[in-house]
Amino acid sequence: MRLLKPLIPALIAIILIVLDTHFSYLDKIKRNSATLLSPIYFLVDLPSQMMNWVSDKGSDTEQLIRKNERLTNELLELKAKLQIYNNLVLENQKISRLIDASYTLPANSVILARIKSISQSRLKKQLVINKGSNDHILESQIVLGAKGVVGQIIQSTPFYATVQLATDPTQHIPVKNARNGARGITKGLASNKSGMKVEFMPSEADVKLGDVFVTSGISESYPAGYPVGEVIKVSTPQDEAFLLIRLKPLEDMNELEFVLIVSEPL
Amino acid sequence: MIRQRPQILLFKLTLISALISAISLPEMIQSAAPFWMLICFTYWLIYAETKAVYTFALLLGLLLDLLHGNVFGQNALALIGSTVFILNVKKSFYVSNLSTQQVYVFFASLIYLLITIGVHWTTQGFDFSYLIFLTPLTGAILWPIMHFLLTKLKR
Repeated sequence: MRLLKPLIPALIAIILIVLDTHFSYLDKIKRNSATLLSPIYFLVDLPSQMMNWVSDKGSDTEQLIRKNERLTNELLELKAKLQIYNNLVLENQKISRLIDASYTLPANSVILARIKSISQSRLKKQLVINKGSNDHILESQIVLGAKGVVGQIIQSTPFYATVQLATDPTQHIPVKNARNGARGITKGLASNKSGMKVEFMPSEADVKLGDVFVTSGISESYPAGYPVGEVIKVSTPQDEAFLLIRLKPLEDMNELEFVLIVSEPL
Repeated sequence: MIRQRPQILLFKLTLISALISAISLPEMIQSAAPFWMLICFTYWLIYAETKAVYTFALLLGLLLDLLHGNVFGQNALALIGSTVFILNVKKSFYVSNLSTQQVYVFFASLIYLLITIGVHWTTQGFDFSYLIFLTPLTGAILWPIMHFLLTKLKR
């Protein structure tokens, strides 16, 4: 009798696990329930928000003027780079039309978000951002840092969203070598602090240390052309058909403060 | 036993453990950190006289799953498993000194860890940071401090 008592709650838990992993019946319930937990993230984030507020109030005018000048200069530089990029996009579109290729450089709109917390689960690599479905953040949208891909939105509530990092073992990103276009799929490594590996690259593929892999755009979830990681190790294991490639993400996930969420095409 | 209503204490403990769980820590510390909800729930199980403990374990586990974005039911099943162990040793736990209690917390955390990893292995594969195996140890080491702080909260 003593052991029967926990049996029903345990069975309910097991049923929920099966339903959650194999079906999508619980998605709506989970999303609505997660919204109710928003105040917890607000409370956890409160000290850092207060620190920011105090820091902003404490900055003197001269400091703010210097910062403003620096940011203006950076903005000008970025605008200049953007012109080059826009030209490249146009060139790419022309060439794509000429050769009748399906691949084109993406032209998406982005939303800026601040990171609230990182990796609060020990079995998953994820972070929480301060924008949610109220800001048109939807599940499966790609998240970028200043240097490359950060991950993908896996849950969006009205006030916050959860991003699964590209280094999570359950994240698979179709990639290609930016140098020669050789294609593969990345997979995060949980046992490694911030590593990824590239799977399904044939042993005769041309991959060198320092090569950069970018999203290939083969699956619909990741648009093409965004940098993912840099090759830090290449080896050919004996009797294996595929190369063993280790990638270091271009974006340091622990130093992120802001991210960009790529939304629908412009 | 406790001086305030068990449900009120449980609410306070849940809020504290949910807040601690949601704080962003460096990856290494995060992986090896104790199961805060289990520690708080163990304290409540030992010092509160109440019924329907397994229902509470299920609900708190589901809350944690939602908060962490884990598979729905994973923490719930782990918390129920650990609750079975804690209730079996409850009398002994209550009268034991802190070092014996640490041993009980170690085994409760170990059960929690094994169930969590078992579910993770079945649903997502055997790939995680091995630092997680330190969790029962850190839970046992931090038990006296948590016990002291939670006793202050109970008054």
